[in-house]
Amino acid sequence: MRLELGHFFVQDVRFGEKTEYRNGVLTINKEEAIRVVREDEHITEADLVIAKPGDPVRITPVKEAIEPRCKVSGGVLFPGTLNKLMPAGNGRTHALKGTAVLAVGKHWGGFQDGLIDMSGPGAKQTMFSQLINICLVADTDEAFERYEQQKKNRALRWAGMRLAQYLGQTVKELEPDEEEIFELPPLNQRSLKTQQLPGVVYVLQLQSQMLDSGYNALVYGWDANRMLPTLMHPNEILDGAIISGSFMPSSSKISTYQHVNNLTIKRLMREHGKTINFLGVIVSNLNVQLEEKKRSAYFVRQLATALGAEGAIVCEEGYGNPDSDFIYVINELEDAGIKVVGITNECTGRDGRSQPLVELSDKADAIVSTGNVSQLLRLPPMERVIGDLQSLARDGNSGGWEGCVKEDGSIEMENNGMFCADGVTGDHYKTVVEY
Amino acid sequence: MKRAIHYLNQFFGQIGGEEKADHEPEIREGVVGPGILLNNLLAPEVEVTHTVICGDNFFGSHKEEAIERILNDLKDKPFDLFIAGPAFMAGRYGVACGAICEAVQEQFGVPAVTSMHEENPGKELYYKSIYIFPGGNSAVAMRKDMAAIASFAKKLATGQPLGPAREEGYIPRGIRHEAFIDPPRLGADRAVEMLLKKLKGEPYQTEMPMPKGDRPAIAPAVKVEEAKLAIVTSGGIVPKGNPDRIQSASATKWGKYDISNLDRLNAGEWETIHAGFDPTFANQNPNVIVPLDALRAYERENKIGQLHPYYYCTVGTGTTQAEASRMGREIAQELLEAQVSAAILVST
Repeated sequence: MRLELGHFFVQDVRFGEKTEYRNGVLTINKEEAIRVVREDEHITEADLVIAKPGDPVRITPVKEAIEPRCKVSGGVLFPGTLNKLMPAGNGRTHALKGTAVLAVGKHWGGFQDGLIDMSGPGAKQTMFSQLINICLVADTDEAFERYEQQKKNRALRWAGMRLAQYLGQTVKELEPDEEEIFELPPLNQRSLKTQQLPGVVYVLQLQSQMLDSGYNALVYGWDANRMLPTLMHPNEILDGAIISGSFMPSSSKISTYQHVNNLTIKRLMREHGKTINFLGVIVSNLNVQLEEKKRSAYFVRQLATALGAEGAIVCEEGYGNPDSDFIYVINELEDAGIKVVGITNECTGRDGRSQPLVELSDKADAIVSTGNVSQLLRLPPMERVIGDLQSLARDGNSGGWEGCVKEDGSIEMENNGMFCADGVTGDHYKTVVEY
Repeated sequence: MKRAIHYLNQFFGQIGGEEKADHEPEIREGVVGPGILLNNLLAPEVEVTHTVICGDNFFGSHKEEAIERILNDLKDKPFDLFIAGPAFMAGRYGVACGAICEAVQEQFGVPAVTSMHEENPGKELYYKSIYIFPGGNSAVAMRKDMAAIASFAKKLATGQPLGPAREEGYIPRGIRHEAFIDPPRLGADRAVEMLLKKLKGEPYQTEMPMPKGDRPAIAPAVKVEEAKLAIVTSGGIVPKGNPDRIQSASATKWGKYDISNLDRLNAGEWETIHAGFDPTFANQNPNVIVPLDALRAYERENKIGQLHPYYYCTVGTGTTQAEASRMGREIAQELLEAQVSAAILVST
């Protein structure tokens, strides 16, 4: 499997006559772009707003982030979800780097939605503050979930994917600024030198705790709750085989942008053949029933063992209850003699005194901590809000509460509600330290 | 100029050795013994204005009285810092330093700093509430240990920003907060580099040291036929409208609801406000979480003694362990007072 990723480094995004990319500037014909968004009749209102790093702007409720991309050859974008089901990970894909399409609710937020500040102290919390964000601010006719705390956000998430695809088309025929090639041959076609290096697997525990479909992460369109752990080629993930779900407090989530840019996978690919023999990605899940948790952990252990893994990195998309899935997998792998590093966030409370994970284990002796969901943040008012700031207080956001939005527009919130802020795929420099 | 007060035992306070260990607490103006060194190290920003001296035996055998008398002596003295020791490996002295630091800090809201050897029993008792620097095992380490206390105490007194425990050098207090790695190192690089070290058997530093779990032993069985039984749940079942405004996640509140006149919880009158699971089934039949219908049947069949007139409820999603423990303790206290002998804890 060989994937060529062509990167276009976007310097600016603006609205104009024609949707095109030229000399580092992405110009968007707003009307045309909104027509693409409104191809789904469930979108009742839509607008596009651009937010740049350093702008005095607060964006919420953010439901999803997607990198503008196109498939030049060898498949389709987001197979099994946005487009027809086909294998991903082969051929050529172009991406507009430094930008993201954000799906933002015009009014309605929920438990799983997030907030992004483009400047000020809040801008340190999440990597999305560093991107030029093309905000699709929209409302839908999904009345059944308007007042629900848990929202599937389907129309908005799919509209975000359509918009990202539409924008990505601008660079289909162009020469990228930079090219990255990802190639990982079958296990029996690797050089002797590579085979002698320690075998490493990456275990991706996708969020899949909801029993109803429509909320969980999707693998080629398949609900991660309804799968057993399986082996995937890293290219499949870097090329859009997995899309983010719509459940879990936002800071713990992996957005679709982060799946295709999974920095841990990219770093493991770079180490392959030098320091490690990268065996592949075991895609697992996070479940609510004990038997499901154990079954997945046993599958992960068996797959890793059969592949000859000596090391593993385990990434958990969530906190709280799924900490037990995380610890079970670490225990199983360590018991099988596989050395594990875990990457996750923690929940130590506003006073920082609670135990970091719900489940503890002495075997989890190498953890990278990417954030504290209960960190209390006090953030000054912003000149402009994209979306609806009241949704943080009104709609059951996991980081907000009644009264957390002050009259002057300043807010108090827990990190829980910062959009994909705890970067468990390894894209941020935040951690947790002991005082 | 900021003011500090220093605590010493009878030995370092130059009263005498073991024979003077019953020396009662006293306060003096100025510095005594190692206080001279401390004062020099703190100058010019901070001055040690007073010294408290107390015998180790007196403190150990009359702890409450000793603390009360010392707090009373400090009442009219303005000070910004409280420093005790260093206590090295001296067990009674270490415990006294920890206890008085904690009490002074709580009473006057002034930061307290001490130093002792990591195996001093005072460390285990007090490291979570005060700043304890790891010290040597005897007075040979006086200069070094006092210097560590003093440079940190200066920072505290002058309001300089404080780094995490590992940077400042004190024993981590079990307080974990977010920080930004400077210069930035991304999680992916930290994880892969940690794994490479672990694979090679090289030392590495986890970013989340595993705390010791708190697992209580399972209680002896009760005779359910005689038991007064209560229902406690983290499943978020509340009267419709959530009168106590229990949070749907990260809960800090619990509710207590009268079920003495009910045989079951009816849909529409009771609901779950829990945000961490699909509420469909629980809202259709709240008894799946608060099994009132089944327990009433058991009560009629004399399978259980009686059902406590209230059930207790909070939400267990995103709830911190500390809040959960506090709520658990509060609910358990109520159950004890009502002579409840068994509880069914329904999780979701």
